[in-house]
Amino acid sequence: MRKQTLFALTITTILVAASASPVLAYTLLSPRRRWATTPVTVRVYSVGNSTITDADHGVSAVVSAIRAWGIISSSSTTSAAVRGSAPATIMLNTDGGVCTGSCLAATLTGYYVSQTGDDRIYDADIYTNQAYDYYSSGESSCSGEYDINGIMTHEVGHVIGIGHSSVAGATMYPSVGACNLNPRSLASDDIAARDDLY
Amino acid sequence: MHRRSIALVVLVFALALPLSASQFLQLPFDRLARESTLIVRGTLGNTWSAWDDAHQVIYTYATVRVQRYFGESTGPDTLLVREVGGTVGDYTQEAIGFPTLRDGQDVVLFLGKWEDGVAYRIHAYNQGKLLVSMRGGVERLVEDPERQGEARESHGAAPALRVESEGLTIDELAEMVDAARAGRPVAERQQQ
Repeated sequence: MRKQTLFALTITTILVAASASPVLAYTLLSPRRRWATTPVTVRVYSVGNSTITDADHGVSAVVSAIRAWGIISSSSTTSAAVRGSAPATIMLNTDGGVCTGSCLAATLTGYYVSQTGDDRIYDADIYTNQAYDYYSSGESSCSGEYDINGIMTHEVGHVIGIGHSSVAGATMYPSVGACNLNPRSLASDDIAARDDLY
Repeated sequence: MHRRSIALVVLVFALALPLSASQFLQLPFDRLARESTLIVRGTLGNTWSAWDDAHQVIYTYATVRVQRYFGESTGPDTLLVREVGGTVGDYTQEAIGFPTLRDGQDVVLFLGKWEDGVAYRIHAYNQGKLLVSMRGGVERLVEDPERQGEARESHGAAPALRVESEGLTIDELAEMVDAARAGRPVAERQQQ
């Protein structure tokens, strides 16, 4: 039994180490697609998330955080997301009926396939699971919560057409743990992906 | 028992690999099995996509020809599964990282009900969908490498580690589901 456990632990360690290898490996959504013009307009619905205890329940924090991409024009809005219609809108106060259970946040994108292969993103909206507690840069301390600044910076990466990266610490790394603030800051891999598209 | 333990560890990690999700939390297997309304092995067929009544969301539907129910559950020979995302005309709507539904796929699905009760949805997103693959003359369960918006254009090294594991057999999965639903531990909790 001890040998079996040791063998299993060895395999586990190898897999963890391999999956965290620091390689440059950004990906783009497939098919490759982008917005027609920059800056890309992203609105944050003015009804924030009730678990965030800063002045506006995370709205201002997210408006600022997603500007990290450098090609985003962001502001708050009193208009809720309309799927299938621009502008891209972040909803902190609803799961949209699509992001429940083990989903933290979900991005829905819409695009038209062009005849020239230069596909254009037409709309994107982001929804947030209401079953979890979130933390923002406007709060003093984080305890067992998920960082809304980083989560939305990651999701906005999808909004502009970027997929996941295997670079641990990159914003577009697909996994995030409680109180992990790393995704707030773009890694060189994230910047390379953005510059590839725009 | 030894081989099954190793296969389980590999399977759990295969399901937790970077390409497997947008920003999802990884459920322990026992929770995945207990929370699912139905766990079935079947074949996807007759897929189609359509806008919802409000013309805001495109859903893709698929019928599942069920060959086996796992756990204590039983049900009809055919189920209807619905997932967000799909193509209508020249417009595509994708939920990035969500599972896809493809005609002819031989699958094991962990299912829950949509709120409207009309169709089932895959529970825990990609964690709840496994492909049945024939390996060495034995049917084994492997992760589905395809997700909505999955990046096929990579730069530099491979975007994600691929585990070529043996995978669990159907019967091994059935034992695990039985154990989970009976409240017996089946694996260490793994969460990302």
